[in-house]
Amino acid sequence: MTQLSWFIALIPAIPLLGFLLNALFVRNEKANGVIASLAVAGAFGAAIAAIVGLNGLDEASRQISIPLWQWLAVGKLDVAFGLYYDPLTAVMTLLITGVGTLIHIFSVTYMHGDARPRRYFAYLNLFVFSMLMLVMSDNLLVLFLGWEGVGLCSFLLIGHWFERKSVQPGIVPSEAAAKAFVVNRIGDAGMLLAMMLILSRFGTLSFFGPDGNSGFFSKLTDASFTMVNLGALGTVSVVSGIAFLMILAIVGKSAQLPLFIWLPDAMAGPTPVSALIHAATMVTAGVYLVVRNHMLFDLAPDAASWLTIIGTMTALIGATAALTQFDIKRVLAYSTISQLGFMIAAAGMGAYTSAMFHLLTHGLFKALLFLAAGAIIHGLHDVQDMRRMGGLAKTMPTIYRVYIVGAFALAGIFPFAGFWSKDEILAHGWFNAQAVTTTAVLVFSSLLTALYMGRQVALTFAGEARDHELHAHEHLGSMKWPLVLLAIGATLGGLINLPGLYTLHEWLRPVLHEPVELYTVGMGIFAGVTTLLAAGTGYLAYRIYSGAALAKIKPGADDPAHYYLGDIWKGFELGWGLDYIYQRFIVRPYRGFSAYVYDVFDVQAIDGILVEGSARSIGAIARLKSQAQNGSVRTYAFVFLIGVVLVVGYMVFGA
Amino acid sequence: MVSTLMYVALSAFLFVIGVLGVTLRKSALMVFMSVELMLNAANLALVAFANQWKSVDAQIMVFFVITIAAAEVAVGLALLVMIFRRKKTTDIDLMNTLRG
Repeated sequence: MTQLSWFIALIPAIPLLGFLLNALFVRNEKANGVIASLAVAGAFGAAIAAIVGLNGLDEASRQISIPLWQWLAVGKLDVAFGLYYDPLTAVMTLLITGVGTLIHIFSVTYMHGDARPRRYFAYLNLFVFSMLMLVMSDNLLVLFLGWEGVGLCSFLLIGHWFERKSVQPGIVPSEAAAKAFVVNRIGDAGMLLAMMLILSRFGTLSFFGPDGNSGFFSKLTDASFTMVNLGALGTVSVVSGIAFLMILAIVGKSAQLPLFIWLPDAMAGPTPVSALIHAATMVTAGVYLVVRNHMLFDLAPDAASWLTIIGTMTALIGATAALTQFDIKRVLAYSTISQLGFMIAAAGMGAYTSAMFHLLTHGLFKALLFLAAGAIIHGLHDVQDMRRMGGLAKTMPTIYRVYIVGAFALAGIFPFAGFWSKDEILAHGWFNAQAVTTTAVLVFSSLLTALYMGRQVALTFAGEARDHELHAHEHLGSMKWPLVLLAIGATLGGLINLPGLYTLHEWLRPVLHEPVELYTVGMGIFAGVTTLLAAGTGYLAYRIYSGAALAKIKPGADDPAHYYLGDIWKGFELGWGLDYIYQRFIVRPYRGFSAYVYDVFDVQAIDGILVEGSARSIGAIARLKSQAQNGSVRTYAFVFLIGVVLVVGYMVFGA
Repeated sequence: MVSTLMYVALSAFLFVIGVLGVTLRKSALMVFMSVELMLNAANLALVAFANQWKSVDAQIMVFFVITIAAAEVAVGLALLVMIFRRKKTTDIDLMNTLRG
């Protein structure tokens, strides 16, 4: 192994080591936090070293396959446990470990005094490790290991406060954890089926194979002409079939329509965990999967167009739902869903670099917003309802400043990070894909983004404190520097792919083969119009919620807009009622069916007849026999006498 | 000379009295005495047969029976005294705590 390979192998190895150390040996809260943070920081250092090393190679050889050991060899199936490192993996590892490090450092103060710091930090490291395995694997099975790993860790961390019966706003942590796990499982089923289809058709799960040219990617073109007859569902090519199954996986993991319902509830965990799930790990896995398998989606235009539709609808639904929330974290949770919709839509339109660009900038500013929200919640002693906040600009000046940066970046205001990445997606939709409806919906969603961020900033920071029982104070400790660094990132993140320079485009070109285009005047005008519109709507929302509507914001009261929009507003607030639909048409019938099966098979058949029935029949026989033991000596003597008479009679007269 | 048959008949008669006493009497003391009666009926039969066959074997057996009966009486009466102390009665129909 070369020196570079060692650095690459170290990236996932250090967080794993941190996990093992914390889980097995260290029992001190402070040491737990330090070890966990150092482990991810070490991985970040290794990631930087690796990307520098990769940059030193010439473009054609920037794909490093490191087969570590043979994992499975059954018949023709031979899966190596191998790492794969190319420019795409490089930027993903940088994001995961970089943002991950800051979240770990933030957690040290945030989780101070928690009942189970050891568990928390160990799982946090495991989470980062799983995500790194996901992006660094050289075949689908190892990817699936990471895929399941992040699912497991999200379950464990969302349910970190499993003993609490309810956290704000009325979520049961253990149920939220189970919900995330079960909903993700639906997607995982798609992933498994896609893997089986790939294996049965191509005989390998490796992306590129050991020599870089024998993986299933190189066999896709032939397979795109093979059709599969699905009966009433029509005929699709094998590649499309795989792509559709992968879409199911993406929809589950990246919280897209119709499976996004787990993400708003995932905030039941500690806030840094939300930041980790929403920004660095977990939900970006779906986007990564599309980009990694871009050859597949290029050959399956029908599946790719479905990706666009799903992404666009999710962007809209997420934005409308975020607009109506009162919980500070729930706004951000729906916002993540919306932004992931942007990424998926971009990937569906073939703008893989733009999707990756938005993924990276979003990782920065969403981590910033979540951590800042966590700092607010920490300073308010676990109050998350924005109706009880207000006026925090004075009491929490640092948080206020970084939050404004995050809000600008998310709303896509020039020159913050979100502007560049979001504009690239919109511009691609308008100029390259020429998809008018999609672009219109996405632009509308991005305006809604500005609207809900303006509303949130106004509700949280503007005016006077509405609830005087809260003693708002800013006590940041180790939480300060992560916020500041992320704020810098959210400001300057756009630099990695400035129009004209296209650094990220150039960097990812060996993987994605996307041509760099010239930046036209039309694109500039388009970008100017969208950012002006966004700034305008954001300012409008801020004015409304810090001025005209301010008097109507009271703890427990409805939003003033509820008065005008009524049930439409209510519907937005419930995430378009998907939860209700699942409850009504899946969960409740399923529960009813389960109750029936339980009653018939379990209670009546197994318990009633087999278990209790056998016990009862033996009991009945025993009771009958125990009649003989009536405790009366005279009866015994009499029976004994009869016995003697019979035996003697037999001996005298019988034989 | 009284015939052996008469002895054996008397022995059988005494034995039946003993059996009836064991099975029909309620008093533990009477049951006890009936058991003794049965033992001695057997002794009588043994002695009668020994006389019949002019053999001492059966008479030795009688000594054994008497010895064992004495030991049995010692143990049995002690039990009876203890039971009476606890229950203030010797009615064996009331001693049915081992009922299944």
